[in-house]
Amino acid sequence: MQFLSRTQVVVAIGAVLLALYVLDLVRRRRLSEEYSFAWVAATVTIAVLGFSTPILVGLTRLLGVVMEVSTVFAFGIAFSLAMLLYLSVRLSRLGTEKDAMVRELALLRYEFEAERRAMAERNGA
Amino acid sequence: MSAPRVLVIIPAHDEEESLPRTLAEVRAAAPDVDLLVVDDGSRDGTPRVARASGVEVVRHPVNLGVGGALQTGFRWACEHGYDIGVQLDADGQHDPLYLAALLAPVLEGRCNVSIGSRYVARTGYRAPLNRRLGMLLFSGIVRMALGQRITDTTSGFRAYDRPVMEVCRVEFPRDFPDAPLLISLARRGFRLLEVPVEMRERIAGRSFYTLGKQLYYPYKNLLASLMAFIQRSN
Repeated sequence: MQFLSRTQVVVAIGAVLLALYVLDLVRRRRLSEEYSFAWVAATVTIAVLGFSTPILVGLTRLLGVVMEVSTVFAFGIAFSLAMLLYLSVRLSRLGTEKDAMVRELALLRYEFEAERRAMAERNGA
Repeated sequence: MSAPRVLVIIPAHDEEESLPRTLAEVRAAAPDVDLLVVDDGSRDGTPRVARASGVEVVRHPVNLGVGGALQTGFRWACEHGYDIGVQLDADGQHDPLYLAALLAPVLEGRCNVSIGSRYVARTGYRAPLNRRLGMLLFSGIVRMALGQRITDTTSGFRAYDRPVMEVCRVEFPRDFPDAPLLISLARRGFRLLEVPVEMRERIAGRSFYTLGKQLYYPYKNLLASLMAFIQRSN
């Protein structure tokens, strides 16, 4: 196998290690399958670009990028941005859901305490 | 027809010092209205002093912000059959003596939302420069969006009728329920009306508006106003 630069090798190996770590997180139930999908897809893409010089060179020409290594980094940065945006969206939704839960809990607690007071009064009377 | 039931909703976050006086003042000024304190995750004795005053208390386990607390209040009001909900600050800024004036146009059906405004008539209130600029800006935005002049968009002293509360119990801004809320309500066909009131200095506690929020506030409200304007009203 022929590599264009040492960076390419480092990035490719790094991507494989990251993919393995992601899978291990899933195995230990620290990361859900849903979230692991994007990570595995991205790391596998980066690893393929890193290990397969013909694909990397072809893609670099196609995109009009000057250096092959820039193509790899461009994919990495694109993935990071997409992931951050996705997480922001999820976080906003979680916030809304949290507010709804807090509200529901507060109203239920009100009903519960009111019921308990009424019961105490009935028993006391 | 029986008399309309009015609920004064008081969102309170760490307001144990000013709350008892505010509650007593509302009771004295308007003996017929009911009171609900929405304790928004206070860490001080706010829920205790509220209960000691004999009012209804709903407690958030964590802080949601003033909008979140009001939304809880609207839901409670709807579920307990109230016809009108009044939003009033716990810190004593809003003088309950103006409650009758605020309620009148809603009771008479002249509007769906009445807003207690510091600027409709000459009052003693003078805001700091940054707030004055902000108010000018958002008042201008509301006027552009609605063709109606609302001078005090940030006033937190308002009365809402039942149809408005039915909307607000489902959808309400979680922070700063100001200009964007007014735009979105007006776009749904609700009528807004300003009522002149005087506001006072807060009795105790901190204002909601810290430095970070002062920077975020104009951004958020500009964006939300734009969204309220372009979102289809349905």
